[in-house]
Amino acid sequence: MNDDSLIDAESASRVGTVAAAATGEVNRRDWQRWAAAVGDRNPLWFDPEYARANGYREVICPPLFLQYAVLGVTHLDTLRPDGSSGAVSGSLAFPRAPKRMAGGESFTFHLPAYHRDQIEMVRTIESITEKEGRSGRFVLVTWHTIYRNQHGDPVAEASTSMIARP
Amino acid sequence: MTDQQVFFDDVSVGEQIPALSVTVDETQLFFFSAATYNGHRIHYDKKWAHAEGYDDVLVQGPLQAALLARAIGDWIGGRGRLVSFSVENRAVAYHGESLRFGGVITGTRLTDEGAGLVDLDIAGRREDTVLMPGTATVQLPRRGARS
Repeated sequence: MNDDSLIDAESASRVGTVAAAATGEVNRRDWQRWAAAVGDRNPLWFDPEYARANGYREVICPPLFLQYAVLGVTHLDTLRPDGSSGAVSGSLAFPRAPKRMAGGESFTFHLPAYHRDQIEMVRTIESITEKEGRSGRFVLVTWHTIYRNQHGDPVAEASTSMIARP
Repeated sequence: MTDQQVFFDDVSVGEQIPALSVTVDETQLFFFSAATYNGHRIHYDKKWAHAEGYDDVLVQGPLQAALLARAIGDWIGGRGRLVSFSVENRAVAYHGESLRFGGVITGTRLTDEGAGLVDLDIAGRREDTVLMPGTATVQLPRRGARS
């Protein structure tokens, strides 16, 4: 890294550290509202009899909903001007690359989650690298996130990335 | 339930999964933001979206991902299991556009424990434009096996 880098020393020093940690309870009504908003009527999320007939002890949480079960409370006066909370990124700022966009996300699912499971999420900053793209230089940030249940068993893991541009 | 369960033994490389067609409207955008506790104004504030250079309010990337997962979930049935799911946000989509979510089988394999895994290339599209490419792996039950 040099003075010309888009990555400031403070941000660079945070690679390998925990960007965010949160806990939350998986809630059946919340995931059913999410599924309804997706138009997803999969009976595994709604019908206990169907879920039991397919080897589960109860209805299960849609795998992609798990990430929302740990969202905390954001006070309105702490929102960014664009209405987003910024909580998930661990407040990495990149003053020299302020425009940000979601890159991609990659999940691995290990176990089903049930109503009232207690989920603990730990998100670590995996890498911060500067790259040269067709439209100029940018910063690529990747996080690794693990979700564990109340028994300490990993329920899911995720790798998430963000692009920040000058 | 009387749904048709798809089995590992019956699928092959190159096969398409049934595609899901969805036209997201503003009400669905609002409900998805609410269900995900998302206050980002580009999904409900047209003036804000214009100021950021967009033509209209945007379909949430996570909603596109959830619609892809819905297409997979509908296909794999009650005994199928989503093992991994990976997507990339490549282009924006607006409400009122006809979007399609689907996938194609790229590989089948058995684990050491005998579980049948199926690899897929998946994508959310608007006509020929790929909005969200990705990959997924699902586990399907094997005929005559207990799980």
